[in-house]
Amino acid sequence: MGMRKSAPGGRARERGGGTAIRPHLPTSPWLFLAPGLLVVGGFSLYPFVSTVAHSFTDARTLTVGQFTGGANYQEMLHDPMFWTGLRNSALYVLGVVPPLVVLPLLLALLVRRSVPGIAFFRAAFYLPVVASVVVVGLIWVWLLDDRGLINALLGVLGFGRAGFLSDPWLLLLSAMAVTVWKGLGYYMIIYLAALTQVPRELHEACAVDGAGAVRRFLTVTVPAVRSTMVLVAALSAVNAFKVFSEVYLMAGATGGPGGEDTTLVMLVQQAGTGLGGRVGYASALSVVVFVLTLGLMLLVLRANRGEDR
Amino acid sequence: MPRDSRRRLVAHAVLAASALALSACGAPGGGGGDGGVEGKVTGQVTFQTWNLKARFQKYFDGVIRDFEKKYPGTEVKWVDQPAEGYPQKLSADAAAGTLPDVVNVSPDLAYPLAKAGLALDIDKAAGKYRTEYLDGAWKSQEMPGMPGVYAFPWYLNTGPMFYNKALFRQAGLDPAKPPTTYDALFADALTMARNSGRKIAMLAGTPSIEDFGRYGVRLMDDRGTAFTFNEPKGVRLLTRYKELYAAGALDPQALTAVAESAGRKFEQQSVAMNPGSALDLETFKRDAPGLYKNVGITDAVNNTGKANMYVQGLMVNAQSKVKPAAVAFAHFVTDRQRQMAFARQVTVFPSTQGALDDPYFTKQDGTDATRVRVAAAKSLKTAVNYTPVVLSDQMKTVLRNAVARALQGKQSPQAALDSAVAECDRLLKTG
Repeated sequence: MGMRKSAPGGRARERGGGTAIRPHLPTSPWLFLAPGLLVVGGFSLYPFVSTVAHSFTDARTLTVGQFTGGANYQEMLHDPMFWTGLRNSALYVLGVVPPLVVLPLLLALLVRRSVPGIAFFRAAFYLPVVASVVVVGLIWVWLLDDRGLINALLGVLGFGRAGFLSDPWLLLLSAMAVTVWKGLGYYMIIYLAALTQVPRELHEACAVDGAGAVRRFLTVTVPAVRSTMVLVAALSAVNAFKVFSEVYLMAGATGGPGGEDTTLVMLVQQAGTGLGGRVGYASALSVVVFVLTLGLMLLVLRANRGEDR
Repeated sequence: MPRDSRRRLVAHAVLAASALALSACGAPGGGGGDGGVEGKVTGQVTFQTWNLKARFQKYFDGVIRDFEKKYPGTEVKWVDQPAEGYPQKLSADAAAGTLPDVVNVSPDLAYPLAKAGLALDIDKAAGKYRTEYLDGAWKSQEMPGMPGVYAFPWYLNTGPMFYNKALFRQAGLDPAKPPTTYDALFADALTMARNSGRKIAMLAGTPSIEDFGRYGVRLMDDRGTAFTFNEPKGVRLLTRYKELYAAGALDPQALTAVAESAGRKFEQQSVAMNPGSALDLETFKRDAPGLYKNVGITDAVNNTGKANMYVQGLMVNAQSKVKPAAVAFAHFVTDRQRQMAFARQVTVFPSTQGALDDPYFTKQDGTDATRVRVAAAKSLKTAVNYTPVVLSDQMKTVLRNAVARALQGKQSPQAALDSAVAECDRLLKTG
């Protein structure tokens, strides 16, 4: 007897003596989808819808809000801290993305070589990625403290103390440096995967034509991993725009002296938490962060498409 | 049923469930009520303290054991939260409807909870106990604009000022005469910065609302409806702090300091004075023995003659399912016997009637610890809680940022305080 082909759970019925396969119930696909839908609905969709809904109210942590239309968004336009937060988040993207696109690629090129002990360096570069951001942040706070190791070294070298944690601009730069240092290993791994796809023959042909290491890097490696660079730029830009932990740990809960280093996400936290938290206003800020992040992502992808053409 | 109809049905069910979830997840509010406190003292009571377990586990275990013995059928589940982020923890619990039955609060934390109907009116529900407590302590748990009292008064403290005798000596200051007024503090701070070549700062932080209060600045109007700390005295205080910051008499990281980081600077001996609590002495002994040998304790400086009084209370959750047991437990922990026992564990002061007249708080025995205890107990009789209960975390941030702008010279002290008052008033009105 020939076997009839049918998908498990399909509508086809085995006839003529074979084991009958019951047709699936109309609800079966939903049952399979249910766990995933519940997770996405409960932890992504519902909070998102709830945030958007709350952004049009004057809700507080402990009181249900009234509908206030676009009042929160109007208030934001007149809130100097919002503009400070927007400036700092934008600067963070500008300061963090270029080094996070370039430096991990150079690191990947270094550690993909097969030399004795290279595994140690691979692990060492990746270590900050798996370390807790709080622990890492605190270590850097100790190092950059006015009486910390780095200032002591500057003193020994004859320089004055630098206010890494007291000058608003140096503080922001210090936080950026920590973000870059912590992200290097993660993006290095992505580049290592991409580098395995670069045809060896291209490098050899280039070398035969007399190109040096720098020229081979610029004319072979970079074009070959360009799509990965765009991916890294997009990921690091989104993460940089949403930065919180590094700045919070280094600049303190108020966001640096006078709140000068506050980022948008820190502003959300400041406005929306605590017993008197302004949930409505914090929700409106969150919606703006979402829209700006989405815009940033689209911008990067569009730039990539433009270059592809 | 046709497939389209089924899909519509499923879609409607999902929408209905979402709507239900949305409406159910709203913040609490006004659902408390004060009824239900009469009845049998039984059931499981959840009791939350604020950073006390690490040092006083044995004491609280004993209190809980005694309570469960006195009221068979009760069980107390004790949870303790770390010092940092306590308001955030309370707000998360309150919003989720998981606030413990008995909660350790200060009046400024009790205020928003009472306003949201989550704190039981103790005056109404357990007013019979009122006479057991100091009148001032009972009244300190009253909330502006609301009738009633929203927590059992618990322990009191004046918040001593610690100073480093060795650093005072090195700077040419007399370690036996720490500053007691703000003018003396400013003069000593400038001397300290000058004589140490700006290496040692007198203070690690910037002035808080309590400093404005202790300096004699009027913080709010009589009705508690508007802030007034931008009055000339407030501007003068900020102007003096600006001079200190420029002279290196404040730590370079003072503008971003919080209580914990300021405490670390004092332990590292890079600042000479720091406010704290009696609990800190144990910490110095354990973590900074070099400092402990040189640490001096004095009253926090003030120009008003009235020390700052820190008040702790025990709030009963108005939505508790075991209100009779929760009220009984909150009263049990704060009664005279238990408060006296706790005060013997650590330098805090009972809020019960007559307790401060106990020889333990009035008689000297020649030791430093007793001298500090007796002096603090005496100052508590006239002490004031300077922190307005309506001052929210957001308002504290507004003030800190304004102070930082003034100290950096980005705004004049007057302009900075004017803007802070305007913003705090706005937050007060919209709250």
